[in-house]
Amino acid sequence: MMNNNGTTPLPPKLATATANLAEALRAAPPLVTYRQAQADLAAEPAAQALLDRLLTNQNELRLKQMNGRITQADVDALRALQNEVQENATIMAYVMAQQDALAYLPEVNQSISEWLGIDFAALAGR
Amino acid sequence: MNLIETPVADTATADTAVALAVRAFAETLADSAVFHRFEQANQQLRADSEAQAAMLAYQQKQQSLQALLMLNAVSPAERSELERLEEAFFNQPTVTALLEAQTELRAVCQTAAAILSERIELPFAAACGPGCAC
Repeated sequence: MMNNNGTTPLPPKLATATANLAEALRAAPPLVTYRQAQADLAAEPAAQALLDRLLTNQNELRLKQMNGRITQADVDALRALQNEVQENATIMAYVMAQQDALAYLPEVNQSISEWLGIDFAALAGR
Repeated sequence: MNLIETPVADTATADTAVALAVRAFAETLADSAVFHRFEQANQQLRADSEAQAAMLAYQQKQQSLQALLMLNAVSPAERSELERLEEAFFNQPTVTALLEAQTELRAVCQTAAAILSERIELPFAAACGPGCAC
């Protein structure tokens, strides 16, 4: 039987253990720093707009590349935007914090997997 | 803006809390009925000599044809034999039972990972995907 959101309900004890693990992870320094950086970025509209411009530009350039219509001016414009992003402390703090948080999770998965004797995330991710 | 202060002393506390929570989570999952069914199915397959022989025959055939399979140059007769061996393996009751138990366990792991991802605001399973250190 499935939940309304299409997931299998967890046995009560496992649901509690999962919730406790989630709370412990939320309090782990790499994830605290990540949420802090996320909040800082959200509080800075100019940085967000710059990031949006970079993503839009990258997508447009990808399309142009596929159509063989990319110009040197397009590449220069992207590089200028990339430089601007790299000079923005809030964006860079966010990027680094996200990287650190994402690097922390495999360590957690490894611990879980060692206990279980199966790769938990690999099974959950399929 | 600073959401939560994390002094050095708290870092060790947080690490300990994660280690304890990981252990509790893994122990609870390992103690669940779905995990027991998976382990039991795994043991039954390992003890099933007929299924093991079917697996070996299929694997050996697959390995002998590996280069040709990559080139998509397997003869119809060889392909048909490989498919027959594959079917013979997957039709073994202990294999079917293991696949069913694995599907059931996967669904539980997916739910748990989805809950973790939602709470930590990062995709847990994807962060530990191929190429990670797990």
